[in-house]
Amino acid sequence: MKNLKLKKGLTALITAALVATFTAVIPSTANAADSCSNTGFIDGAKYVAFQKCTGTDDNGSKYEIRMPAKFNGMLYLYSHGIRNQVLLPLIPVVNPTGTYSKPRSEPEVAPGRTTADQELIAETLLKQGYAVAGAGVQVNGWSVPEAIEANMLLVVKAKDMFPKINKVVSWGDSLGGHISQSLSEQYGIIDAAANLHLAGSAANQYSYANDVLWMYKTLFDPTIKGNGYTQPVSATDTRGYMELIGDIGKLLTVLNALGTAIKTNPTAPVWPETATNVPDALKAIPVRSAILLIGLLAGMPTQSTTYDASSGPAGPLETTFGAAISPALAILENTSTALALGVIGNYDAEMRCGGSIFDNTATDYSARLGDNGTIFAAGLSGKTSTAGMLLFLNRLNPAAPRVAASAAAVACINNQAAYTGKITVPTITVSQTADQITPAGYVQKLKNQYEAAISNGDAKPGLLLNIWNKPPDSYTEFAATGAAVTPTEPTTGTSHYMYTNDQILVIAKLLASAGKSGKLPSVATAKSALKNDSSMFIDPLFTPELMPQDK
Amino acid sequence: MIRNKSMRRASLVSAIVATGAMVLSTLPAQAATPGVTATEIKLGISSPLTGSAGLSYGKVPGAMKAYFNYINANGGVYGRKITLISRDDKYLPTAAATQTTNLILKDNVFALVGALGTATHSKAYKAAALAKNNVPDLFINTGFSGFTDQTKYPTTFMVLPTYAMEAKVIAKAIKDNFAGQASFLIAQDDEFGTDGVAGFKTAGHTFTLAPILYPQGSMTSARAEAALTGLSAVPGKPVVVLFGTTDVTATILKAAEKLALTTKFTWYAGSVGADANTLLALGVKPTTVNGVISASFMPDAKDLTDPYVKQFADINTKYNKGITFDNYVLAAMNSAMLTVQALRAAGKDLTRAGIMSAIEAKGSTFASAGLVPLGYSATSRIGYNGYWVSQLNEKGEGKPYGGKLVIYTTDSGAGAVEVSTFVRPTMPKNGIPTNS
Repeated sequence: MKNLKLKKGLTALITAALVATFTAVIPSTANAADSCSNTGFIDGAKYVAFQKCTGTDDNGSKYEIRMPAKFNGMLYLYSHGIRNQVLLPLIPVVNPTGTYSKPRSEPEVAPGRTTADQELIAETLLKQGYAVAGAGVQVNGWSVPEAIEANMLLVVKAKDMFPKINKVVSWGDSLGGHISQSLSEQYGIIDAAANLHLAGSAANQYSYANDVLWMYKTLFDPTIKGNGYTQPVSATDTRGYMELIGDIGKLLTVLNALGTAIKTNPTAPVWPETATNVPDALKAIPVRSAILLIGLLAGMPTQSTTYDASSGPAGPLETTFGAAISPALAILENTSTALALGVIGNYDAEMRCGGSIFDNTATDYSARLGDNGTIFAAGLSGKTSTAGMLLFLNRLNPAAPRVAASAAAVACINNQAAYTGKITVPTITVSQTADQITPAGYVQKLKNQYEAAISNGDAKPGLLLNIWNKPPDSYTEFAATGAAVTPTEPTTGTSHYMYTNDQILVIAKLLASAGKSGKLPSVATAKSALKNDSSMFIDPLFTPELMPQDK
Repeated sequence: MIRNKSMRRASLVSAIVATGAMVLSTLPAQAATPGVTATEIKLGISSPLTGSAGLSYGKVPGAMKAYFNYINANGGVYGRKITLISRDDKYLPTAAATQTTNLILKDNVFALVGALGTATHSKAYKAAALAKNNVPDLFINTGFSGFTDQTKYPTTFMVLPTYAMEAKVIAKAIKDNFAGQASFLIAQDDEFGTDGVAGFKTAGHTFTLAPILYPQGSMTSARAEAALTGLSAVPGKPVVVLFGTTDVTATILKAAEKLALTTKFTWYAGSVGADANTLLALGVKPTTVNGVISASFMPDAKDLTDPYVKQFADINTKYNKGITFDNYVLAAMNSAMLTVQALRAAGKDLTRAGIMSAIEAKGSTFASAGLVPLGYSATSRIGYNGYWVSQLNEKGEGKPYGGKLVIYTTDSGAGAVEVSTFVRPTMPKNGIPTNS
């Protein structure tokens, strides 16, 4: 609440007189402990000097600004993706190395797959004369309001410290993309934005995760709690947290059982022993069909890093594998990564908002299937089996109780800051067509919102460029045993994985151009910039399916 | 003087502008149409070349190319050569979506022709945004009645009759010829089968037992044997309708051979599942094939007395060397000939909208090998709208059931199945359309 009030105040102030007023109102930001040092790096025969400034704003968010000695006037403001607010013990698969066991609050100044990649991107921009900056938001989880505020304070701070900043371009990935988009639309301080695999709204992202979670609970293990974790009444009350840890264990058990069943018999894998609610007649259907159905009803991509939903091992199963088994395995692979984020993120959102944020009491899952019932009929084991599974998920089935949300919690999650599509500055999106965490449908929603804003006179045309990263036409590799081989690095176009350094630098270049000119690069220019990368494409008419939660 | 100079400059500018306008106005309208140049029309097809479906359908693109090459060798269409770009989708929905998108974005084709399969094309149509791109989606090889929905598939033209139509014709044939016998349906459990089930229901035909439905790719020998063993307990000589693909028909007929039940039943295979060459290639005995009843809208590819068949067979010999002429080749060349007529009907200034309007306006009059009428109009995207009932012999030849060719027409809804007096248009001279 405090943050929301402050945000409104900041908005008014900044739109009125921007930096001067803002710094006058909050002089303490200038007084926060800032530390600047002169440093640099060797680039070939040259030494690239820059000033590195770090500090903490009034809200406790850390920041970092790197200002090159030869500055060209443009600052890249980077927003990192979601970080876990909930700290976890060491858990196989989910938290094997303890990454999620400690709070993370360090700022990041550029995107990249690894810390080294992020440094490379930052240094490349610095040597071109650009400044880079980023905040480490004081609150993790779905902390969009806090992140926007931290970014705004950072821009004010940067302009105060370096008055030569005359252009600010914003970029971010995943939740950072969402933050960047929201920031660029609303506050008049951003000149252009580039948002990488942009997250949807909080309500829809969590509904997506909860749809999967609820169907896993309903079909595979009714003892999973999933929603309505016990709210703590004191700082030492860990009941809800232990419920979450219990759920993670149960989900891992289910995922392991499903994986083993498919490995044992990919054609007719059996249901997990924990599927105690499901009648035997339903269990006669290969469980891979249930896995596929869950993914289709939730809106998950049917391609994953290993499975292209097309290829099959050489031999009699080749076509059947591609048609009926590969899409289910892709969903399973996608689920295993999305579910961990979903269950932990959902718990965090419940703690943030004080109750269950998910409500599927009125959801018609059957209606959601749509054409996918035709397209994936083979994988779903036919119309009859599909009808049987949908009947079990029907809200009238007492064995599949629906989840009712807390009205206050729903209001809370809906009130998280979100972009609206009222785009006012050149904006570039880059997304994988088969991203299981932030599916391509979220970008389509933004496109629709933007088109509506143009129609309503709330936005000008020509300010949104969508770039897509797609998988190869076919990519699943099979070992001599016939088993699919998981690549050591996620397949391009799939999964929620950062782009390559080359791709990021092309986006950075397009973003700089947009920031300088106030106009998007033309489609031809953008295509030309990407012409050597067959995994990237631009097609204004490409229309990914909206997420079912958004329809 | 200054004034005169200015006037001269103004006149010169006007003249340049006017000349430019004239040049622009004389440029062909198709300059901006994707896939069309003054010398070429690029078409695309996504279909199975490999995988299990490639065995049957793999010949389709090659046969279409052969016919187009024949047309190209005879002047093309208004001087433009037709290039057909073929991509392999293995009969898999995701691959079809990828390949169709590639045809539009990478290959920049003018139109798609002959896309194959219900699940595959449902996904591909949406993924490649064919409606938004206004890409003509010509003569698709699926009988799913959903593709008749012009709101959902505004650029699609079917060539096959719908599965519902076929079911209605089969129902009439059973009623007319096998009244009193039990009847059973073994059908693929997807839109293909359920469209058929709906057609039988509309026709008022009730099967003796509930249809046996199986997911695509799941019919095994054991499953077929179990089904036939169960059905064989019914007395008499029941009619078994097989509403699936030819490989499944083969699996079931071979199961009947193993169980010595081939003569226990009257076999009625739907048009999609009755390709005799494929049945024989898959090991079904000629004696089993002999007598299988089916429905078709095309002449039999072995009937070289048919002028269309003869002409296409000759083209195949010259332009598709090494490929056996069969029903798939015949159907593919027929679709290619429909395409050429559509291109001609659209006129010299070829546009995507123009070709679709041309088919709506003139498609029902196109010359075609089909023995039943074409149903194209402003409100109908269905191609053939009827069937004749055939019976295979040991050589795999399809002959009119009962010895006399009877053409039935109907619709996908509640309309009656009627005997038609349709007489197809004469084959264009040398198989080269000259329509406009």
